Amino acid sequence: MIQTSYAKLKRFFENFYLICVLIFLYAPIAVMMVLSFNSSKSRSQWGGFTLKWYRQMFDSAPIMEALYNTLLIAFLSALIATVLGTAAAIGINSMKKLPRTVFMGVNNIPMLNSDIVTGISLMLMFIAFGISLGFRTILLAHITFNVPYVMLSVLPKLRQTSKYTYEAAMDLGAGPVSAFFKVVFPDILPGVLSGFLMAFTMSLDDFIITHFTRGAGINTLSTLIYSEVRRGIKPSMYALSTLIFVTVLALLLLTNFAPAENGKEPDVSAARARFKKGGYEKWLLTAVSFCIVAGVCYTSWRHLAAARSDELYVYNWGEYIDESVIELFEEETGIHVTYDLFETNEEMYPVIEAGAVLYDAVCPSDYMIQKMAENGLLSEINFNNIPNLDQIDPVYLERSQSFDPQNEYSVPYTWGTVGILYNTKRLAELGIPAPTGWKDLWDERYQGEILMQDSVRDAFMVALKTLGFSMNSTSTEELSAARDLLLAQKPLVQAYVVDQVRDKMLSGEAAVGVIYSGELLYLQEEAESLGLDFTLEYVIPEEGTNIWIDSWVIPYNARNKENAEKWINFLCRPDIARMNFEYITYATPNQGAFELLDEEYQNNHSVFPDVSELATSEVFQYLGTEADDYYSALWKEIKAH
Amino acid sequence: MNKKSTRILAYPYLVWMAGFTVIPLLMICYYGLTDRTGAFTLDNILAVASTEHMKALWLSLSLSLISTLICLLISYPLALILRQHHIGKSSFVVFIFILPMWMNFLLRTMAWQTLLEKNGVINSLLSVLRLPPLAIINTPAAIILGMVYNFLPFMVLPIYNVLAKIDDNVMNAARDLGADNVTTLTKILLPLSIPGIISGITMVFVPALTTFVISNLLGGSKILLIGNVIEQEFTRGSNWNLGAGLSMVLMVFILISMTLIAKYDKNGEGTAF
Amino acid sequence: MNQPLIDLVNISKSFDGELILDDLNLSVKENSFVTLLGPSGCGKTTTLRIIGGFVSPDQGRVIFGGEDITRMPPNKRQLNTVFQKYALFTHMNIAENIAFGLKIKGKSKDYIRDKIKYALKLVNLDGFENRSVDSLSGGQQQRIAIARAIVNEPRLLLLDEPLGALDLKLRQDMQYELIRLKNELGITFIYVTHDQEEALTMSDTIVVMNQGYIQQMGTPEQIYNEPENAFVADFIGESNIVDGIMLRDELVEIFGARFACVDKGFGQRTPVDVVIRPEDIDLVKPDDGTLTGVVTHLIFKGVHYEMEVTTDGGFEWLVHSTDMFPVGQEVGIHVDPFDIQIMNKPASEDEEAVGVNE
Repeated sequence: MIQTSYAKLKRFFENFYLICVLIFLYAPIAVMMVLSFNSSKSRSQWGGFTLKWYRQMFDSAPIMEALYNTLLIAFLSALIATVLGTAAAIGINSMKKLPRTVFMGVNNIPMLNSDIVTGISLMLMFIAFGISLGFRTILLAHITFNVPYVMLSVLPKLRQTSKYTYEAAMDLGAGPVSAFFKVVFPDILPGVLSGFLMAFTMSLDDFIITHFTRGAGINTLSTLIYSEVRRGIKPSMYALSTLIFVTVLALLLLTNFAPAENGKEPDVSAARARFKKGGYEKWLLTAVSFCIVAGVCYTSWRHLAAARSDELYVYNWGEYIDESVIELFEEETGIHVTYDLFETNEEMYPVIEAGAVLYDAVCPSDYMIQKMAENGLLSEINFNNIPNLDQIDPVYLERSQSFDPQNEYSVPYTWGTVGILYNTKRLAELGIPAPTGWKDLWDERYQGEILMQDSVRDAFMVALKTLGFSMNSTSTEELSAARDLLLAQKPLVQAYVVDQVRDKMLSGEAAVGVIYSGELLYLQEEAESLGLDFTLEYVIPEEGTNIWIDSWVIPYNARNKENAEKWINFLCRPDIARMNFEYITYATPNQGAFELLDEEYQNNHSVFPDVSELATSEVFQYLGTEADDYYSALWKEIKAH
Repeated sequence: MNKKSTRILAYPYLVWMAGFTVIPLLMICYYGLTDRTGAFTLDNILAVASTEHMKALWLSLSLSLISTLICLLISYPLALILRQHHIGKSSFVVFIFILPMWMNFLLRTMAWQTLLEKNGVINSLLSVLRLPPLAIINTPAAIILGMVYNFLPFMVLPIYNVLAKIDDNVMNAARDLGADNVTTLTKILLPLSIPGIISGITMVFVPALTTFVISNLLGGSKILLIGNVIEQEFTRGSNWNLGAGLSMVLMVFILISMTLIAKYDKNGEGTAF
Repeated sequence: MNQPLIDLVNISKSFDGELILDDLNLSVKENSFVTLLGPSGCGKTTTLRIIGGFVSPDQGRVIFGGEDITRMPPNKRQLNTVFQKYALFTHMNIAENIAFGLKIKGKSKDYIRDKIKYALKLVNLDGFENRSVDSLSGGQQQRIAIARAIVNEPRLLLLDEPLGALDLKLRQDMQYELIRLKNELGITFIYVTHDQEEALTMSDTIVVMNQGYIQQMGTPEQIYNEPENAFVADFIGESNIVDGIMLRDELVEIFGARFACVDKGFGQRTPVDVVIRPEDIDLVKPDDGTLTGVVTHLIFKGVHYEMEVTTDGGFEWLVHSTDMFPVGQEVGIHVDPFDIQIMNKPASEDEEAVGVNE
């Protein structure tokens, strides 16, 4: 081209545009890389350079296992999908037009269908046919959505291949099979390879389908991250992602751009491009295989280390146990614990109900325990196996009777209140006095400063209590009034969150947030260690609140009931209960443990409030399917507004 | 080739598709058309007409349409530039747009939260420059941004692939016959790249329409999309029948896009990658 | 004589630092059929693209009808191109393809319809208006590409190896079609090919190019009969090129034997290249020949026999003859003086006939 000023200008704008798009694409990735070196856990505070998250990542068993699962599933599903898809592509090529069209139509479904529908449909089928959700089901699902990508890259190559080369090979004495592998296969190999890589990448990046088809104790990186997302991602996850990204980038750059000179003659440069392309795939394959081998070595080593004799499947809230407690339990009893997380009661319920995964010990909340018991999902606990029950303060067993009238299904684990956490500095800036009750959450000065709980019952509890009604109300008038109140509040709300409230309050995103009392100690300690310039205070609203109790139960279909009882008994041991309290900082109903605590904790009324402060408070009850549906319909109205 | 013997090669996958694509879809239909007791009902389908579902669906449709349009507007010039610069070694283009996928999808979206938050990276930069803060986190705008970000490669790649296949001489011929740049673009390049555009539109529109993760992470759960409704019916509301019914409604939209694809993609091979 | 329609003045062009055209000068007269002929990479296509406006020269000027069009974009130039592999618009039918240029010029509908009809008739494809591009054979597509170009009534038509993708029979038919078209339309043609037969059949003027230089320019007869250097001789037709020594005017020594020739002015005892066409060698009895050799190969070619005769020095002469001499027979070689072409040895590396492959 002539370098006229017009051409130069055009070139400049084109490059500018390209760079803008690249910045857009890579900015979030850069942010994550930076965060992986941030010594502060907060996403918005720079606390200095550190490599500790990288160390933590290598030390973290869940992350390494999830990484291994992710790579293994990606590799296996891509491999199987490649074999299936390549064979199918060859087969389909010799089909008549009509069956071919139908075949391709069905083949395209998983690719064009939304992930959510594919995921749900597979989950429904697995459950209907009694295939328990786990590694297998994820693998099957991934193969299913990977094959179309393989076919997509193999078919065009197959069309380009002359059928005469195949015939020529046969003519020269090759059998059909060797003719295929010696002549046709090398021709379509680039398509097969890029299909494999495409499938590998898609599998690696998938979250939604895995989310619906996974089962107990198995996490891929995606699902692990999702369970971490709402309560704040551990920076070691950034470290891992950075590491993966940099590895792939380095390999690709090395192979793609090492001979950086420009090809001079067209023929040569085309040949070189082809060569490079081959190299790119070859190298990526090498990288992938390397990861797999490393992963296999790692886990087989882990499995050898933990020879499993006895099993226990535990299903608990995220961040709801000191992980060394699990190790202690495993050491003392020789029982291998498979530990899995849920985020809300509502998410846990269908998993137990469908029996998709057979858990032995689960830790739901009050009203959910009632619902499970009423629907026959719980088995009675043999309290002879739980001598440590006498450590539990009888007050809490009494309170438990509101959802477990005979105290036969549940053993209390933690309890607490729901209240308002506020940022003292932000309130001062806004010129608002500290909140005292729920009604303050309707103060217009809080515009965009409120974090509400993203959970039906908790949100309605706030509104019902504000209106002076029972939080277990089923009256349509009362609930409609509560809905209207919540609708009126929505413009003031910054976001509806669950555990993310912690991160957001710590980074000063909002002035007030509705939180569980147990978060308080953690938040205050974290605020102090981060050296924040504001303090976070907690108040139990004067209108009364939700006294919640999370208790251990044993599902009706538990396979290791005695192990579950051993587990519950172990958790009731005062020293263990104390360890857990100090880790999760939620109030413990364990009298023995309470007595072991520092006085500072014992006297903290936010965490251990006096009974007198809770006169107007209640415990959630299960209200029946109809009321449940009514609640969720109203909640949906609020959300959709 | 011996057609009969090669045709057998397709059979394993045929069985696979029956088991893992067709039967699961039938399961959705079964759940969607029954109530909790297993009796036949159309309520789950008709439920889409309720105000909140309509609102969620409408919002999903408009947000995904807008983000599809934005993707298209960003991608087309981009694909043209990539084609012109003869960064034609297609592996490079694929490389640049596939690479971000090796960083986890959830983390990438979370990173946008970090960027967009009130006290986030972008606002810190803006305040250093003494510019007014950007307040789009937890708004539909943030969701659109998330959609555009996550699905942009699915628009760029098919369009680029179609454009790259167009012989330079076809464009030269148009210029030779008197067409200026604009005419060449509108009369030659655009019509020739329609298959890629259609393919890109479906590949962006469908996932955008049904996403629940992006709206959760960047919309602060304040904005309910149809994907959120369905996801919550399955993981929280535990009314699977309603969730399945709504999924069936969604599939109607997907069917429409499949028909579009079939119409414009005569070779039946797609142009996505 | 006619005025020059197009003048290329001191054109140079390099890609990625490699010189493709080096100070090229070329003048084409109105209403002529000029062929740029040469092996791939010789710069012929680049030359054509510079005239078409798709490539800008690094140096030099393009003068078209007296006007400098070096910087003019292709859509403003009064010339049209028939592209390699046709470059038809697959999303349009035949009529739309042909009408493309006319519509842009804003011609009336009636005019366009008539023009399409006329053009289709001209290329023997009446009634193809509504067919799709994909439904046509290669030869038909080629004709549409020509029709699409000529409806715009260009003063100059550029053809870039337009027949390269066709099979032999079709190619020969199309050659006659092109000649007919040129005569009917009175348009100047510049034609690029690497096929010497095509060039010899159709052109008024052949420009033989190699390595960015024009090696020779002339009528087909001149190019064939009087090649100016070994490259041209070797590239056009088959030749025996041997080292010789010009003893004096009209006498050259080859492999120690003395041949009478008609060339003069090479000085005395000058090393030269000697070119002798295979059909110009007469095989005679050994005693009557200037050189003697043995027939080592014999192939029947229909019109003639092709033989290889190996002489004492080990040189293998290619001989075309209607008389047959069996393998192993000793023969004499005789060449008439006016059939011997004497050429200077190439002065520089660039001009040397290297890497010629047909």
